[in-house]
Amino acid sequence: MKLAPQSIPYRAFQKAAGTAVALFVIVNSGGFGLPLAVAGGAAIFVAMLAYEVAYYRRFEYVLTEDTLDISSGVISRREREIPYRRIQNVDVSRSVIQRAIGVAAVDLETAGGSSTEGSIRFVTPEEATRLQREVQRRKSDAGRTDEDGDPVDDGDDAVEDGRDDAFAPDEEELFAISPGELALVGALSFDGRLIGLLAFLSSGSFPVLSSFLPEMSAAALTATAFVGVAALFLASWLIGAGVAFSNYYGFRLSRAGDELRYERGLFRRYSGSIPTEKVQTLRITDNPAKRTLGYASLSIETAGYAPGQGTESGNQSAVPIATTDRVYRLAHEIESFGTPEFNRPPKRIRWRYVVRYTMVVGVLTGVAYGADWYFAASLPWYGVAALLLAVPPAAHLKWKHRGYWLGEDHLLTRNGFWGRTVAVVPYYRIQNVIDSRTVFQRRWGVATIVADTAGRDRRVRARAGNGVRQPVCRPDRDDRPLRVGRRGRRPPRERRPRREGRGRRCRRRSGRDIDGDGVGREVGRNVDSDGVSCEVGRDADGDGAGRGGAGRIGRQRDRLG
Amino acid sequence: MTTQTLHPRVQIVWVLRAVLLSALVTAPFVGGAYLEYLPQWAPVAVGAVILTLTVAHALLRYRRWSYEIREDAIYLDRGVITQVRTTVPLVRIQHVDSRRSPIERTAGLASCVVYTAGSRGADVRIPGLTPDGASDLREELKRLSIRADGEDAV
Repeated sequence: MKLAPQSIPYRAFQKAAGTAVALFVIVNSGGFGLPLAVAGGAAIFVAMLAYEVAYYRRFEYVLTEDTLDISSGVISRREREIPYRRIQNVDVSRSVIQRAIGVAAVDLETAGGSSTEGSIRFVTPEEATRLQREVQRRKSDAGRTDEDGDPVDDGDDAVEDGRDDAFAPDEEELFAISPGELALVGALSFDGRLIGLLAFLSSGSFPVLSSFLPEMSAAALTATAFVGVAALFLASWLIGAGVAFSNYYGFRLSRAGDELRYERGLFRRYSGSIPTEKVQTLRITDNPAKRTLGYASLSIETAGYAPGQGTESGNQSAVPIATTDRVYRLAHEIESFGTPEFNRPPKRIRWRYVVRYTMVVGVLTGVAYGADWYFAASLPWYGVAALLLAVPPAAHLKWKHRGYWLGEDHLLTRNGFWGRTVAVVPYYRIQNVIDSRTVFQRRWGVATIVADTAGRDRRVRARAGNGVRQPVCRPDRDDRPLRVGRRGRRPPRERRPRREGRGRRCRRRSGRDIDGDGVGREVGRNVDSDGVSCEVGRDADGDGAGRGGAGRIGRQRDRLG
Repeated sequence: MTTQTLHPRVQIVWVLRAVLLSALVTAPFVGGAYLEYLPQWAPVAVGAVILTLTVAHALLRYRRWSYEIREDAIYLDRGVITQVRTTVPLVRIQHVDSRRSPIERTAGLASCVVYTAGSRGADVRIPGLTPDGASDLREELKRLSIRADGEDAV
């Protein structure tokens, strides 16, 4: 199938705009005059138009039985096959201009690679929706084929024309943002970037400013500083509110069969679908303001992307705000993880935090002293040391808000005071478990456990703490290493009759699965049964060997693209 | 499989690396002493201290390093200052490399790298294997991970 024809001039304009502006400036400043600049701009636009016509003619995508094939490229051709089963999520976005001319951008994410695997720019909005639905339908067909071991027989021509929407699962609304909630999102959003930027700029201009300083009295100076800071905060808050408002305007999350759908946005509309079986992690976040008001946010992570990551941070599917129990209800709707009872790390860990924060305060005091000495000002640099008073409460709060819980099928962790995050990770999503203990942690008898899940951008996600970080658990004396994740199998959603056969395996049940040397005594006490029970595994295709390997090869194929 | 330790020759590789690192760190001090910004004994003292520390670290690292391949997962235990234990379930293995760097080739060693789809500990490296050992390990991990048969959870 082809792209929408109106995408040709739009794409050409998009590409030409930047170069044309640059050229215009160069030519104009060079004294060549306006006509030449206009002619140059026009020439670029025509060249781009010609290229885009070729692009349009050479771009084709086909929905085959198990893959979405995209062939593209004018000069270097690329043929790409994306198996439906490997598609993590499908996102559609439309900016204001795109909405005006009736086109939409479709992005298909898989777990491999470092960028969006399937990028279709642009098709009509109807076609975008159809693609989204069609991919979901074929994926669930492929899933059924995969699980039952025999292909789903739905007619030979199903691929040709697709079934009607009558067969599509009903959409059930999970969450729609109310005006009040939207206002709250805006009010609670604060864009710190402006402050950072201004701080950066003002630090550069400080020497310039300081030459004016002696002319003003100290009182006036202080007043100006206060007003300036207040204005800065107000501006940051307004910007944050505006961004959040336009981002989450009309947010709606719904469930259709085995996938979640969301849409949102005031100027740029986003919509997307996330298969529930691809959900890697749920994150419930709040901050002191939200906690006081009884609100929280929920974000859904897949291996295709993590919310708030990369340049296209728009493609995130998070419930921006809802009352806390509603957020938990929604989260349970997606992953039923039971009622968490968090275990806090041992109390002595607070001393560790006290030491750490004291060191930070010490460094800050040192910096203040250094600045004072360098600028030969007689400021009360030791005032920074007053922060020491905040150290014990800070340590206590950090300890208080940190915890973990080993559920039946899920690992939950809770971290942070200012931005508290509760992460819900199903055991079968855990890729590996890292237990590390620094010298100081060994002295305190604690350890850090990181349960790592699949992700896309390693750097960003590692820094953002993708893996669920769970510091400070009591190391056990026995050296039984961690056990992870029910042999990597997803527990069946609905209890289907299980087959006897090669999939039969014994394994430990419940939280003990992950229990081990890192999470020792405290947990051991709380886990009710330490028993080993034998359970019949679900080996769907009845063929114990090969499938994992095949899946992996499939994945590699996706990566190679 | 019982707990495996690394081949003793890996100590040579690590000690060589430690010597190289100490040389790099000491170089500016040597320069400083040569230009008479620093007293003559400074580079010697710095070099000696750093060499001792890094070599001791390399030797301790060898003593700490162990790995084990069990029925369902690979377990690694390593780290001198920060002790790290990693568990990689076999079902999560994406692919396995065996590789030999130039230094490893001169010492007649090889290492084996296990990749998962994870983001943080995505690649786990087992150094200090004999070339045959690395190939065997790779083959065994392949066999075990195919037998472990699970979805890759992405």
